[in-house]
Amino acid sequence: MSNFPLAIIYIIGAVLLPVLPRRIRSAFCLIVSVAAFVFLINLETGASLTFPFLNYELVVSRVDRLSLAFGYVFVIMGFLGGVYGYHVKDTLQQVTALLYVGSSLGVVFAGDLFTLLFFWEIMAVSSLFLIWARRTRESRKAGFRYLLVHAFGGSALMAGILLHLQQTGSLLFVHFDGGAASYLILLAFALNAAVPPLNGWLPDSYPEGTVAGSVFLSAFTTKVAVYALARGFAGLELLIWSGAIMAVYGVVFAFLANDGRRLLSYHIISQVGYMVCGVGIGTQMAVNGATAHAFAHILYKGLLFMGMGTVLYATGRNKMTELGGLFKKMWPTLIFFMVGAFSISGVPLFSGFVSKSMVIHGAEMEHLGAVVLLLNLASIGTFLSIGLKLPYFTWFSTDRNLKTEPVPKGMYIGMGLTSALCIAIGVYPALLYNLLPFAVDYQPYTAPHLIESMQLLIFTGLAFWLVMKKLHAEATITLDTDWFYRRPSRLAFNVFSVSVCELFGAIERLSLRFVRYLVRVGGNPAGYAVEATKNAGHILLRTEKPAREPSDFSPDRYRIPLGIMVLVVLLALIVILAWDFLF
Amino acid sequence: MKRNFLITAIAILIVAIILDVLVVSGHVHVKFPWSHVPGFFSFFGFLGCLAIIYGAKLLGHFWLQRGEDYYDKDDEHE
Repeated sequence: MSNFPLAIIYIIGAVLLPVLPRRIRSAFCLIVSVAAFVFLINLETGASLTFPFLNYELVVSRVDRLSLAFGYVFVIMGFLGGVYGYHVKDTLQQVTALLYVGSSLGVVFAGDLFTLLFFWEIMAVSSLFLIWARRTRESRKAGFRYLLVHAFGGSALMAGILLHLQQTGSLLFVHFDGGAASYLILLAFALNAAVPPLNGWLPDSYPEGTVAGSVFLSAFTTKVAVYALARGFAGLELLIWSGAIMAVYGVVFAFLANDGRRLLSYHIISQVGYMVCGVGIGTQMAVNGATAHAFAHILYKGLLFMGMGTVLYATGRNKMTELGGLFKKMWPTLIFFMVGAFSISGVPLFSGFVSKSMVIHGAEMEHLGAVVLLLNLASIGTFLSIGLKLPYFTWFSTDRNLKTEPVPKGMYIGMGLTSALCIAIGVYPALLYNLLPFAVDYQPYTAPHLIESMQLLIFTGLAFWLVMKKLHAEATITLDTDWFYRRPSRLAFNVFSVSVCELFGAIERLSLRFVRYLVRVGGNPAGYAVEATKNAGHILLRTEKPAREPSDFSPDRYRIPLGIMVLVVLLALIVILAWDFLF
Repeated sequence: MKRNFLITAIAILIVAIILDVLVVSGHVHVKFPWSHVPGFFSFFGFLGCLAIIYGAKLLGHFWLQRGEDYYDKDDEHE
C-alpha cells in the first residue's frame, strides 16, 4: 500500500490497547511503531489517497519528500519514546501517546485543510493528557492553561480555513498566498510553533508532563507546526526575523530557568527559531536546513528530555537549586545527556553540527548578516545552558547526597538508541541528507566551518569557566508571555465571579433586613403607626426625640377603637360608590 | 586560577587566529564585514557568552524573576 494513512495504524492501536492484557501493553506500543514503520518505507512519493466527504474530495494521505522526512522522524521518535517509557503501566499515557504520534503523522500527511484541522485538534487533546497524567496540582493547572491556549489556536485555524475555503473554493493544503484567511492560519501555526509572543504555553506546560510524556511532548507539536509553516508559508520574510529573534529569546529565558526541563523547554523555542528562520528564508538550501534541523532536533531534544526525566524519576527533583553531585550515582545518564547536549550545541561529529549549519549557511547565501550573527549567538547560549550549566549543576556542583531510585533498563536502552542515532547522523550526514525534500549540495565538514565552530564553542566554554564560580541557580520563576493570561485571570475572576457574588450577597442581606422589619411591623402594626405619628409630631414640633421602637404588642395598649374601623370601611364604601356613580 | 585561564585563553586564541589566516580566509565564499577579521568567532563566542549571562541576569533581576509562589500566592479560591 503506497498511500496508506499512517495515522490509522496508531488510532487502531490506541483503540486495541486498553483491551489487551496489561503486561503486554508496553510491547504492543512498540509493535504499533514497527508496523507503522513498515507501512512508511512502502510509501511512494507522489501517491495520495482521496476520500469523498460532503461536496469535497479530502486528501487524507499525500506523500511527498517533505512529508516523508517528517514522517520518518516521527515514527522513529514514537518508537524511541515507547522504549524509554516501557516501564510505564499507565494505560492513559500509553493510549494518548499513540494518539498523539498518530495525529501528528495525520497532520504531516494531510493533503487538505479539513484533514489537517481534524488531526490538529486530536493532537492538542491527546498531548494534554500526557501533562495531566502526572496527576499533580501543578500539572492539572498547567494542563488547563495548555488546553485553553490550544483551543484558541484551533479556533483561529478553523476560522482561517473556513475563510480560505470561502475565498478560494479550495481545501487543498498548499502554499498560501496572503490575505486575512492565511494570516489566521499563520497565527494558529505560529502558536503551535511557540513563536514569541505566542510561546507562553510551552515552558509553562512541558515541565509539568510525566517523565515519559514530556519526551513525546518535546518532539511533536512544535515540529508539526514547523512542517505546516514549511508547507504553507515558505519564503515569508516575517518568519526570518521571528525565527532569528526567537532563537535568542529562548536562550535568554533558558538561562534564567531553574527547573531542568523548563530550561530544555526554552531551548525548544530557541531551536524551533532556527527552523522557522530557515522556512522564512525559503530557498531550497534553507528549507532543507529547517527539515534537517527538525529531524536532528527531535532526536536530541527527546534524548535531553529523557536524561532530565531519568534524573526526575530517580531523585524526584528537577530543579537545579535542589540537584547536584549526582555524578557517582548517575554517570551513565550523564553520558547520554552529554550526547544530546553536544548534539544541540553543534559539536562536530554530533547531529546538530550537520543540521544547524545548513540553516546558517542558508542565511549566509542570502547575505543576511544580522540573522547569521543572531543564530550564532543562540548557538553560544545553547552550549552555555545545556552543554555546561545544566550538567554542571545537576551532576557536579554541590553534592547534596541525594537518594536515587533504581532506573528501569528500558530508560537506559531508550537513551542509548537515541544517542546512537544522534552520533550516526553526525558522523555520517548522508543518512539524514538523503531524506531531505530537495537534493543536498552542502558539505558540513569543511576546514573553515570546523575551525569557526570550534572557536565559538571553546571560547563559550572559557567564558563559562571565568564566571562559573559566581554563577548559582536561583529558586525563582521567570515571567513570560503567559503572564498576560495568568495574572489578569485573577482580575477577570474578581470582576466576573467574586464581584457578582458579592453583589448578590449584598442584595440578599438588604432584602433579609427588609423582611425582618416587615415581620416586626406585622407583629404590631398599630404600635408602629402610633409611634410613627408621634415621631412625625415630635419632628414637626421640634420637641425631644421619643423612643423609636414601640414596646411589645399589648392588646390593651394598642387596641384601635372599633368606631375608627367602621369609619374607615364606610369611607371606603363611599369612595367606591362615588367612583361608580361619576365614571 | 586566573593565570591558568589567561594562558589557556591566549594560547587557544593564537592557534585560532593562525588557523583563520591560513585556512579559512582562502575558502570563504560569502563575504561579511567580519569575514576578514582573524579570530572573529573566538571573540564573538567569548563576548557573546558573557553578554548572554549578564544580559539575562539583568533582565531577570530587574524585571522578570519572581518568587516561586508568584502565581500561587493569591490562589485562595481553591
